[in-house]
Amino acid sequence: MNHVTHSAGLVKNLIATAVATLLLAACATAPVKPDGAAEARNKLTRLQADPNLATRAPQAIETADAAVRLAEQPEADKDLAAYRVYMADRQVEIARADAQTRYAEDQRVLISAQRDQARLDARTREADAAKGQVAIARAEGAQQKLAADQARADADQAKQATADSNQQVAELKLQVEALQAKPTDRGLVLTLGDALFSSGRADLQPGAGGHLQKLVAFLNKYPDRTVVVEGYTDSVGSEDYNQGLSERRAGAVRTYLIEQGISSIRLSALGKGASSPVAGNETAAGRQQNRRVEVVISDPVAASR
Amino acid sequence: MNAFQFLPIRRLPVVAAVTGLMALAACASAPPAPTVSLQAAQQAILTAEQADAGHYASGELGEARAELTSANAAVSETHMLVAERLANESRTEAQLAFARTTYIKAQAVNDEMMRSNGALNQELQRTSGDKQ
Repeated sequence: MNHVTHSAGLVKNLIATAVATLLLAACATAPVKPDGAAEARNKLTRLQADPNLATRAPQAIETADAAVRLAEQPEADKDLAAYRVYMADRQVEIARADAQTRYAEDQRVLISAQRDQARLDARTREADAAKGQVAIARAEGAQQKLAADQARADADQAKQATADSNQQVAELKLQVEALQAKPTDRGLVLTLGDALFSSGRADLQPGAGGHLQKLVAFLNKYPDRTVVVEGYTDSVGSEDYNQGLSERRAGAVRTYLIEQGISSIRLSALGKGASSPVAGNETAAGRQQNRRVEVVISDPVAASR
Repeated sequence: MNAFQFLPIRRLPVVAAVTGLMALAACASAPPAPTVSLQAAQQAILTAEQADAGHYASGELGEARAELTSANAAVSETHMLVAERLANESRTEAQLAFARTTYIKAQAVNDEMMRSNGALNQELQRTSGDKQ
């Protein structure tokens, strides 16, 4: 009897153990995560995988992670499970927004740097432009200097020309003086005395060449000047005779000049007879002065007027 | 026997203690309103409102307000556990409204800076272009 009772107790124990084991097994095979917990975990994983956001809100992400882990725990109380999932989802969203805010704030440094860079670039461009303008100005300056040098050279040349012309005038003056010509309103007048000719004759005396040679040299030096050779006599003798003599003597001088190489185009000769005396015919000295040949050298400036 | 006579007087404090315990037990079975959670939710909504969440995250802010209203309703029906969870949800939703508002405002600042940068770039390029 006692044995049977013992045996029945053993069976009872076995049944109890089996039931307990079954219950445990049931619990083990149904560790079901609450609905929505997986979605919250996915959101959190995406946030943690985002290189721009993962490190930017560590506190909020930690809080979200804790909330998601809590939501993932199996919970028989459906309301509690839903509450935990809701809280986890919102914590993940908050963590994302916080990280995004921090990321935006960090971006500002970059944007400011870009702004500074843009300003710097602009200043560099301005500096380059200014440098370019300086170069242009320098080139212009060089050009102006060149122009100034040119102007100076021109001025020098003009001065030289003036000097030259002054020199020429001076030289002409010298030549005229050497020629013993007198400047008059008709031009330079060279008076050749009657020493050139024998009395009553029109051919030049052998010694006349030396005096006339100065005239030839002068005319060679100033080829733009023309010459009028005028013959004069004293009042002794007939008018016709004196006219003829004066013409012949003027002609003799002209011929001599042509023989010396002066172009005939530049030379004209005319006789003036006893007209235009330069002294009285009453005395021998006066008559000698009146017997003369005047060589009138045209002034090219006066001629062109 | 002397002791037996004094028995009723001696037991009086024990009766009072038992009565007090019963009263406490009555209180425990009807739990107090989740005042801290409700206040926290109210404060979070206020903070979000001050950040202009009504403009930038009106959906979240509306949700937080609705949850707080529901929490208060649960209190009046003495569903204190439900009230507490609703209050916590309201607080969290209001915090999300604030966080999103902050982000949108920060991004707006960045957009303005970038727009200004673009304008500056154009301006600088034009002026330096004029000078050349």
